[in-house]
Amino acid sequence: MRSKRLLGVLGAVGTLAVLPAAADAQSRGTVTISGSTSVFPLMQPLARAYVRSEGRGTRFRIAQGGSDVGVADAAAGRVTLGMSSRDPRAGDPGGIVFSRIARDAVCVITNSANRVSNISQQQAQGLFGGTIRDFGAVGGSGGVDVVVRSAPSGTQDAFQSLFLGSTRPTSTAQTVASNGLVQQAVRSNPRAVGYVSLAFTRGVNVASYQGVACTLRNARSGQYPGTRNFFVVSRGRPRGAALAFYRWIRRDRDAQRIIADGYVPLR
Amino acid sequence: MLGALACLVLLLIGTMVAMVLYTAWPSFRSNGLAWFGAGAPNQGQLDDIFNSPANPAAYQYELRAWPMIWGTLLTTAGAVAVALTISLLSAIFIVEFAPPRIKRVLEPVVRLLAAVPSVVYGLVGVLVLVPFVGNLLVSERRKAEVQYVVQLTGDSLLVAVLILTFMITPIMVAIMVDALRAVPRSWMEGSAALGVNRWRTIWKIGVRAARPAIVAGVVLATARAIGEAIMLAMVSGSWFAPNPLDGFTFLVEPTRPLAASIVFYLEGRTVPPLGQTLAAIAAVLLISSLFLSLAGWAAKQPLKRYGIV
Repeated sequence: MRSKRLLGVLGAVGTLAVLPAAADAQSRGTVTISGSTSVFPLMQPLARAYVRSEGRGTRFRIAQGGSDVGVADAAAGRVTLGMSSRDPRAGDPGGIVFSRIARDAVCVITNSANRVSNISQQQAQGLFGGTIRDFGAVGGSGGVDVVVRSAPSGTQDAFQSLFLGSTRPTSTAQTVASNGLVQQAVRSNPRAVGYVSLAFTRGVNVASYQGVACTLRNARSGQYPGTRNFFVVSRGRPRGAALAFYRWIRRDRDAQRIIADGYVPLR
Repeated sequence: MLGALACLVLLLIGTMVAMVLYTAWPSFRSNGLAWFGAGAPNQGQLDDIFNSPANPAAYQYELRAWPMIWGTLLTTAGAVAVALTISLLSAIFIVEFAPPRIKRVLEPVVRLLAAVPSVVYGLVGVLVLVPFVGNLLVSERRKAEVQYVVQLTGDSLLVAVLILTFMITPIMVAIMVDALRAVPRSWMEGSAALGVNRWRTIWKIGVRAARPAIVAGVVLATARAIGEAIMLAMVSGSWFAPNPLDGFTFLVEPTRPLAASIVFYLEGRTVPPLGQTLAAIAAVLLISSLFLSLAGWAAKQPLKRYGIV
């Protein structure tokens, strides 16, 4: 009960902080952002660097909440830009524009005691679909515990389309709420297999996908097949301060360097 | 002025209840009473609801919430049962037997524990208890035996009940200590004067007189246990209805209670049918806590006669 109340209070404070800012966004050069927890660690240094260089006088307010929150907030005009780590979907509200800012890799991970070196798409479907129950079939050892994210997660959306296709994750899978928790679950369980954004692969064994190692270099060269897009979402095309910020992300060398630090810049 | 504020609170609560029920209605209407029944795995059902087509006529609502309800019942009942035993004995110790020095330390510590945010408990669970149960308590053979039905990863009923017990015990202790202190001294002295020993006196006179307050404490703790979301979402595991016939495996089977399910799908609430389904889950929680408050109020009535509460 206490934590729910706390969430409520935080939510109210967050809304209060964001609402008035969105109203006079154009006039005072304030950019409000909410959405994907995968994009957030990238957006924060970008905004900081922007304020230090070109965007002097621009003010940022960045909140998280998940890709779907970002899309909905942007569509309702609650924020200037939403962050999304999933592609546009048929069910999204009308009138919003997804603009790409970077690419990211999704890696299949296992416990570091269970060195699965490579999996094919078929093996990924078997593992996560629940038909392969022993790592012996994919070059590891021991029984399989599947760790997945729930449907609203942007990472789950990307993994579904890049790895699973039409296969549904097994209903016995352990569902956790964030990239960090998948990493923790896999790190502490020798039987576990899961998937995370490239930024969350420390302390676990990262499997190659279709013979290509899941590394930043391979993602950048385009060889790694499991890459997805990061977007900013706006109601109509970005305008005013948001447009200037978006242009800076796409064109400025500093911005590209920040992105290249852990993600794949767009060329 | 104060009256107006109080009315405003009432109005807010009323509006909230009305809004939750109104939002939840499509989910209940579409499922009928089967909403409370058992059926396909909840994970798949909630994912289907989330992936509903954009056309309102084609919205998916099918949900058989029994595994979640069962999870809530199990975690709550388990934690309250264990916590009741522990806290009753601790309260008796604090009131009747503890030397003043220990009492001075123990009481503030108990009250402090009651105020620790649940994420902190959840974190301890995820980092320490879950790996412990998953890697050391459950054997490979046991995991392999049931792996086609359920994954035993350490996220389990056992860890959930354990931490939940830890969270609600301090509340119960605090309430019971107050209640035992409020028992008129003369009653206890009368018993002692008859040559009854201390333990028998506190058990037969103190605890018996404070019984309604103990029930009230249990009710408050139950309400907290039912509504606990964040911690349970972190340690209780995925949707599964643990089966008591499975013996020890039952304890280490995962489960996902109602409140934790809301936390899990909150991100997707902007999809209308999912938002309505979450509201339906919230409505069930809201109504159960309403009944609990009523029960707590009713339990306190007998004490009023003696002016104890």
